[in-house]
Amino acid sequence: MKGEKTMKKCRQTALLLLTAAVVFTSSLFGGVPQKAMASQATSYTYTLDENGYFVRTQDAYLTDKTITDLGLSGPQDLFIDKDNMLFIADTGNKRIVKYSIRTGEVIGELQYEGFKTPRGIFVTEEGDIYVADSGAKTVFRFSKDFELKESFGKPNTPLFSDTNFEPNKIAVDKSGNMYIIGEGVYSGVIQLAHTGEFLGYFTVNKTTLTFSQALQQLLFTREQLANVTDVVPTTFSNVFLDDAGIVYTTTMGNWKNAVKKHNTSGGNMFKETVYSVGEAVADIYVDRQGIIYSCSATGYIDVHSKHGELIFSFGSSISNMDVAGLYSSLPAIAVDMDGNIWTIDGDKGYVSSFRPTDYAKTVYGSMDLYEQGRYEESLVQWNEVLKLNQMSVLAHNGVGKAYFHAGHYEEAMEHFEVAGNRTYYSEAFWEVRNVAIQKVLPYVFIAGVILLIIAKVVSFLDRKKQRIKGLKQHVSNRVAEIPVLKDFQYAAKICKSPMNRYYDIRRHRKGSVGGATAIYIVFFIVYMLYQTSKGFIYQYVAIEDMDIGGIVAGFFVLLGLFIFCNWLVTSIQDGDGTLAQVYMIPAYGSLPLLVSMIAITVCSYGMTYNESFLLTIILLVGIVWSVILIFLGFMTVHDYSAKENTMSILLTVVFMIIAAVMVLIIAIMWEELYEFLYTIGQEVLRNVLG
Amino acid sequence: MSLVKLNKKKGVFAALFTAILIGGAALSGYAANYIPTGRDTKLPPEKVSYDIVNLDRYELLYETEDIAYYFREDRDVIAVYDKRNEYVWKTGADLAFSSDINDAIDAAKTEEELLAAAEPKEKSLNTTYTGIANSLITVEYYESDTVKYISSASKENATSTLYTLNNNPATRCLDVAFDKLDLQIKVYITFTEDSITYDIPYEEISGQGKYQMASIWVTPFLGASGGMAQYYDVETGEYGDAVSKYMVPGYVLVPDGCGGLIRFADNEAAFTEYIGDVYGSDLSTEPYYYSYLSDVVPLKNPVLPVFGVAHGDRQAAFVAYAQSGAEYMDIIVRPEENKKVLYTWAYPRFEYNTSYFQVYNKQGAGFFSRMEEPQHVDISMTYTFLAGDGTDGRSHAADYTGMAVTYREHLIEQGVLSVREQTSGTMPIRIDFMMADSKSGLLGTEQVVVTDTDGVDKILAQLLDDGVTNINSGLIGWQKNGETLTRPDKAKYSGSIGTKKDFTGLIEKYQELGVDISYARETSTINKKMTNYFGTAAKHVNTWYIYLSKEWILPENAPVLQFSYATAEKVAEWTEKLVEKTGKAGDSFTFSGISNVLTGTYDRSGVATSVTDAISIYQDTMAKLHEDVKLNLVNPNMYLWQYTDRYLQMPVGTSQYVFETDTVPFLQMVLYGTMEMYAPYSNFSFYTQSDILKMIDYNMSPSFILSEEPSYLLADTASADLYSTEFAQYEEMIVSIYGKVNEILSQTKGYSWTDRTVLENGVICNTYEKDGDTFCIIINYTENSYNYSGTSVDGLTAKIIR
Repeated sequence: MKGEKTMKKCRQTALLLLTAAVVFTSSLFGGVPQKAMASQATSYTYTLDENGYFVRTQDAYLTDKTITDLGLSGPQDLFIDKDNMLFIADTGNKRIVKYSIRTGEVIGELQYEGFKTPRGIFVTEEGDIYVADSGAKTVFRFSKDFELKESFGKPNTPLFSDTNFEPNKIAVDKSGNMYIIGEGVYSGVIQLAHTGEFLGYFTVNKTTLTFSQALQQLLFTREQLANVTDVVPTTFSNVFLDDAGIVYTTTMGNWKNAVKKHNTSGGNMFKETVYSVGEAVADIYVDRQGIIYSCSATGYIDVHSKHGELIFSFGSSISNMDVAGLYSSLPAIAVDMDGNIWTIDGDKGYVSSFRPTDYAKTVYGSMDLYEQGRYEESLVQWNEVLKLNQMSVLAHNGVGKAYFHAGHYEEAMEHFEVAGNRTYYSEAFWEVRNVAIQKVLPYVFIAGVILLIIAKVVSFLDRKKQRIKGLKQHVSNRVAEIPVLKDFQYAAKICKSPMNRYYDIRRHRKGSVGGATAIYIVFFIVYMLYQTSKGFIYQYVAIEDMDIGGIVAGFFVLLGLFIFCNWLVTSIQDGDGTLAQVYMIPAYGSLPLLVSMIAITVCSYGMTYNESFLLTIILLVGIVWSVILIFLGFMTVHDYSAKENTMSILLTVVFMIIAAVMVLIIAIMWEELYEFLYTIGQEVLRNVLG
Repeated sequence: MSLVKLNKKKGVFAALFTAILIGGAALSGYAANYIPTGRDTKLPPEKVSYDIVNLDRYELLYETEDIAYYFREDRDVIAVYDKRNEYVWKTGADLAFSSDINDAIDAAKTEEELLAAAEPKEKSLNTTYTGIANSLITVEYYESDTVKYISSASKENATSTLYTLNNNPATRCLDVAFDKLDLQIKVYITFTEDSITYDIPYEEISGQGKYQMASIWVTPFLGASGGMAQYYDVETGEYGDAVSKYMVPGYVLVPDGCGGLIRFADNEAAFTEYIGDVYGSDLSTEPYYYSYLSDVVPLKNPVLPVFGVAHGDRQAAFVAYAQSGAEYMDIIVRPEENKKVLYTWAYPRFEYNTSYFQVYNKQGAGFFSRMEEPQHVDISMTYTFLAGDGTDGRSHAADYTGMAVTYREHLIEQGVLSVREQTSGTMPIRIDFMMADSKSGLLGTEQVVVTDTDGVDKILAQLLDDGVTNINSGLIGWQKNGETLTRPDKAKYSGSIGTKKDFTGLIEKYQELGVDISYARETSTINKKMTNYFGTAAKHVNTWYIYLSKEWILPENAPVLQFSYATAEKVAEWTEKLVEKTGKAGDSFTFSGISNVLTGTYDRSGVATSVTDAISIYQDTMAKLHEDVKLNLVNPNMYLWQYTDRYLQMPVGTSQYVFETDTVPFLQMVLYGTMEMYAPYSNFSFYTQSDILKMIDYNMSPSFILSEEPSYLLADTASADLYSTEFAQYEEMIVSIYGKVNEILSQTKGYSWTDRTVLENGVICNTYEKDGDTFCIIINYTENSYNYSGTSVDGLTAKIIR
């Protein structure tokens, strides 16, 4: 659920990006009053809310330095070494620039005649500089003094013979093995040994088929398939190795799982879907704490936790203005030893940095403490985060988990509820309920025993005069006189022996349109409660997110259509039932479903995910029972055999579809007409009268 | 709310809060040298070196004790010779056209003539740009679909004549005729003791070319720095290679946010230009009738029509301001390399006509069109020249501080500002309350109340108890259904927020305690759930209603995502009605919208209400209201300053163009002592120790927006951007921030803020003075302690030094 929503939002992001790019200038100049104007950043910082939607949060990073005087031309990559030296692959100028972050000066310039388009750079702990040059079709290794040590061309193994070797990006592990992203290589990340020998492909992106592609695969002949463009895996856009030797990759063209963290066999270690803003994830960097920074070529910077949860997203795209922290293209990102983010604008050639705010530092600090198992300390820090952003899902989850591990389950539940974390909420609730049950169970047991004894005693004493039975009968008779209750009582009897009771309806002895209407109304109220008021664990959609109009209209329109169509169908099929009877049958038959919905709504407050199968069973029983009752009801009133009844119901469905299509056509025509008249009206108001 | 209790329980951790967040920076980083960014003020520029300029080819027009004004007829350049420091300003670059130089060299008969003819050839300027560089005015005009430029000093198609008016040498008129365009413009020039004023009345612009004219630029190259030229080599008889000209050290001051400096530099990159649309853009004349708010923080619009240029370190400067036509004015700065011009130049641009998209069907198809009748812009630009460091009493300091004081004195003279008597005492603090807004509900919309009148009462009582006493407050979203869905003039109350009696009781109760509580209301933004657009919404020049989408920045289930703006007449009407209906409760009223949104409206026959009309409508309304109540205005534009008692949400930064090298409190220096000034809400990323220092540096009181209930209740409303407001979370921070700011700034009350200097990177010295008593506040933004004449100022602190 959460995933779908996020995806939806991400798709919107992409669309809105396009729109925003078109009308950007006007939006920027808008003298729009803002309630919260303090932001010292140039783009807002977003995080995900409990439903997976983007929400504003305190600024996580502020623009720091913008270096415009390095004379860069189309720079494509950045790397920061242990000494806080920034290496820039100045692709257009065919050089590598070494810049000291501490002193703000250019320390050196690596120029080599063999460079054609140096696009990727990696510096090892020993200071060896690896340069991936797609134009030269070579990976170069230089010493820290800029002397060429080795160069690696296309591997000459037959396994690689058909593949392009145009290295774009590179990462190198401690033993000198190289992980290379090659231009147009669909097979995966090229892995070379330190000798240059081809070791194979480290990991590959799975191909995903669209619905139409899957259909083609299923239906097309081999000849036809040959004419269809091959479905190839998406190519990787970048690769990174962290201090622990873990390989990370990015993939372009996706907002889902564009950032991957790989185990040694190349598999993705992220269990949950990882979301990125924008679809053009271009580069990735991982700091010592394992926090993952990635950037999208469209100008967005995402920060993910080591588990792949999106912590912050900021930055934006802008092309017609030079504002710090906004990009016309953003090909590379790196993080220095002080936690500052460094980026380049690939079009304008600026290097710009961001420094984390105290807020971001507190978030990272609390995550670190939690990872180390220092729950109490992390709790203190998470609470500080909450003070500055009470809507922070991350912080609520953090506080909740810290409480959970400390055994404060009720407090944990409150926070998991705000964070929309149903799984953890359910676990915490299980613990709370367990304690409650243990506390209450003896009393319940004693009370039950006492009640049982009392019942036995009373029935023993009453065995002669049968007063209790008489009282029951009396109450039942009185209920049978109260208008609405009488109908429910009758519906209850239908549940027990449907054939006989429906026969009463057929004979016009029992049942009334008014009564059925009352049941429909009650049913609808219960249905709405079921839809909107279940316990937190089972209530997936909040009321404000529901299309209430749609639910109401859907309920009554479908019901009305079914009744009307069934009456039409059975009228021409010699069914005996009148419209009133057809109207009554579903009402009187719906009691089991109604009861099961009440039961589920009530039980949902007391059940954890472990017992969800119970709720499913209750619902199934309710549905099946009601369907059987209604089926039998129609059979009885129309005097059909089972076969005839099945046919008539199927025909009813067909009729419903036809009727719906007709209504739709008419509605569309009316809408067009209305729109036309409305537009004319608007035009008149605006231009003639206004 | 149980979460409140939960967090309150964590009282033991509370002390850590300040330590971690406010002192966070000190704990985390190493004590390195402070490297300033564009958000700081850096050390002043180097001294400019200059020689006495030869003005032989110039004619003396007028002379005062301080300044002599000269004119060069052939190039339309006025030279301003400042006797105070012998510095010469030229309104144009005073360059010869390359072809003219060649002709003159060819025609030269003697070596003397040759040397006189062989002027330096400018490298980066073509003929059109050379004309612009020299010109007193440049006209931007439409020719079919393109925009072209022609200047008063153009090589062809332009003639200009300067003549004296009323036999007074101080008043002149430059009559410019652009024959090609059939356009005649009269520029009235008035020289005073230390300034020049240019007046271009709309009525006196004649000819059919008027309808082609897009804009007029005034003296675009005055104060420009940079350039590259080829010089004539007498020995070889040829021009040598182009060399860079002397780059005058200095900067352009732009009114971007609180004030930004763009230092002159030899840039490596071709930057785009800075465009400051004074008073914000008039959305009715933008190219499109619709606009979107995106995830980019909107650029900060200038609230005052001023810019300036300083050459050297407190040596020579001018401050330029519009006295008329400001609402049509853009302040434009083109950094060196912009459009391949190797100068940094700054000028005012006044817009007469604009190209807009005329939509003719629902699908949005259309074509570009222009206004039939140009905007009636009466230009009046004044340039006041400053010389020296301000100690000789002949001029204010020739830097941004002197520019601020000069402009401030001008506004005081005009009656826009008046210095208010300040008694000693504590600094005020602004505490706004978010009361209610609406979200989508089961049936239509549902009111979400986060603070009721009792809540306000409780919170204020608690703050008074905490020792924060000098409070003034605005109540936001007090109407039934809250802020977004209720029309500004509706004074309907909701029991769950507070009845009229509750509000009156609350306001009166705190009035006695010296706390000013006011109703607050945004007056300009409207939506279809709030009101019918017919007769209320402002129309674009293409006659469609102005449309603003916030779908990008609001939650998608918010009750409204599309907005428009009300016409100036409606805004004024609603504002007055609201004050009337609420019975003028309390001492003050708080408004946003009317304070800084300026939009005209059009109908089929053309302009219905121009922005000039809108300004006078707003001024009339505010003048009327100001007779009875104090006015607290959110980021008000200059035309309302006369009626402003409290300036809320004052900008503390710039839009952060990459070429903006410094941020300075220009706006604050202009307004200091004339009204109370409040910083943006500290809740939203303005709470760190550096931010507190900025409040002290810029002399602003802190402000907060609070709610009683947690702010996540607002998550599905159009106020979702208030993501952190709950009082329980902020009580300590308010006390702490207020304490720190008040401790220092309360001592400046009644004093004039006379100077602001940078002692070293990250260390600022603000000088205050009263009746000869001077003291200075050292603000140390760095992490290292700073020694100021024997007194040590710790890192990240501020100290008063007497």
